[in-house]
Amino acid sequence: MFFRVMESSRLPDLVRGFAQDHEVIGPVAKDDRFVFATIDDPAELRLDYDTTLLPPKKLFFPAEDQLMRFRVADNEVLDDEVFAAPRVLFGVHPCDINALLLMDNIFLKDYVDPYYKARRDATLIVGISCVPSEECFCNAWGTDEAHWGFDIFLTDLGDRYFISVRSVKGAELLDDFVETREITDADTADFQRVTAERKEMFAEDLDTSQLPLLLDAKFDSPVWDALGERCLSCGACSMVCPTCYCFDVRDDLAPDQKTGTRSRLWDSCQFSEFSAVAHGQNFRDSRASRVKYRYYHKQWGYLSKFERVLCVGCGRCARACAANITPREVVSALAKGGFE
Amino acid sequence: MTVANMFKEPGANPYRPWPARITSIIDLTEHEKLFELRIIDEKVREGFQFDSGQFVELSIFGVGEAPVSISSAPSKQGFIELCVRNAGDVTGALHAKKCGDVVGLRGPLGRGFPFAEMKGHDVLLVAGGLGIAPLKSLINHIHDDRHDFGTVTILYGARNPSEILFRYQFDMWKHRDDFNLILTVDEADESWSDEVGRVTALFDKIDIDPDNTYGAICGPPVMYRYVIDEMRKKDMDVDKIYMSFERRMKCGIGKCGHCGVGHQYACIDGPVFNYWEAMNLQEAI
Repeated sequence: MFFRVMESSRLPDLVRGFAQDHEVIGPVAKDDRFVFATIDDPAELRLDYDTTLLPPKKLFFPAEDQLMRFRVADNEVLDDEVFAAPRVLFGVHPCDINALLLMDNIFLKDYVDPYYKARRDATLIVGISCVPSEECFCNAWGTDEAHWGFDIFLTDLGDRYFISVRSVKGAELLDDFVETREITDADTADFQRVTAERKEMFAEDLDTSQLPLLLDAKFDSPVWDALGERCLSCGACSMVCPTCYCFDVRDDLAPDQKTGTRSRLWDSCQFSEFSAVAHGQNFRDSRASRVKYRYYHKQWGYLSKFERVLCVGCGRCARACAANITPREVVSALAKGGFE
Repeated sequence: MTVANMFKEPGANPYRPWPARITSIIDLTEHEKLFELRIIDEKVREGFQFDSGQFVELSIFGVGEAPVSISSAPSKQGFIELCVRNAGDVTGALHAKKCGDVVGLRGPLGRGFPFAEMKGHDVLLVAGGLGIAPLKSLINHIHDDRHDFGTVTILYGARNPSEILFRYQFDMWKHRDDFNLILTVDEADESWSDEVGRVTALFDKIDIDPDNTYGAICGPPVMYRYVIDEMRKKDMDVDKIYMSFERRMKCGIGKCGHCGVGHQYACIDGPVFNYWEAMNLQEAI
């Protein structure tokens, strides 16, 4: 990987440069929280954000996504083209970069998903270093750092950014729009110091070492029943999760009933009908079984295929849960056999 | 190129169904019809090669999609048979269709029965109710290569005589000596001259060479445990007992997440699993 250094004051130049040929999307304030939104003025960017309400997945796998238009009479597809304009996603934290890599395993492998792929291919990723908040536990999965999955990554050294350059496109755009210089030993030393200081900021370590084993060995643990009692099956955890990819498919007819659209919508394994089949059979009809399945799939199902857990420790589900169920609590309760 | 691979080609859209024309509709029972479909695109039609136990996503625009196992044998070229119960929106819409109407298909999808591995062995097929649909594909496939198999035993149970599917075919097969076919119903009527009782009770009537027999099971979810118990009592190997699972599916290609069973997805890892695999899938049976 190549590295460059840029004075912090140059950042607006970089954003304005990107904006010449790209839609620039980055974190902006919304009430007292943050969201990823289109940036018109570099001053709107809030690179000091803790986390966003929704993760970047909404930009690649929208909450409602039209797949095709159809004609009813002969069951014919009229249009399934995907249009994705070039854009830069500016200021993505390591957890969310890693989350997109986990989504790639689902949408870009085996049966390639053309909708996700078109948007992924059209989007440059500019990563930014972050300061861990109370809910963060990315360090438990090793997703506290991003080693790939970005075009350039900015580590804030105070008066300057230490820039990791991953892609040709990233290198070119950097050269085109902003003045940078080669790194010195002092820059690298500061980079190491900042990285080490950040590691110290995480809350207490979460022991996940035996988790896949525990999920099977304690499959019938009363912990799940207790969580089922609290869970409201609202699905908020799935909606805000940067790695939850489940979807429903829905057909909508035009008013003339002759044509229509087929769309997919975010779905959640926490919804009661998620696993129901015809004749009233529902393979997960209790809230406990659904809460358990979410953890089982994330920490073992996905792992069994891709050797990574399907969680990046962003903490959004913990913030979103109306019943205050947090992964940190679930994981330690499972290990200990109960809640403290 | 097979259609299964065409689906995975760069630039292909695996969500886009292929138009297929309904060429025949046979009323099997009050609730089930057998649909014969012909994919309209010639290249796709000729590339549609599949294994028994695989399924398609049946697509009716304006209504939705439903996974349906293929009932015809892979050796039957050019046409695909689907045995469909009128049980939901999509299957209801299909039941309302007529010969010549066009519907959509995506597939073949999933992992079917290990036909090549089964060759050279005895086979014991156990079906309950609509579970005969995917097994009929396997039975017909075995039929086409009958000389490659040893003893072939078929146990098929339904609730009552009017719910026995493919009765015309089984009535003919009862007179053959190269298939050991036993039919049973829970509740008989005057017309019924076969067995009465659960399909598991038929295990007393059959001889199995446990070292040389593959099992294939499909039926309602409650049936599996009891049939597997009987097979295990006969000392059949856990990894030679195969079964097909029904789960909710939307995409059929391992993305929408609905068909999760244990740590796997029924659509791409199954729907056919052997018993060893199934034992390792939480909440599978």
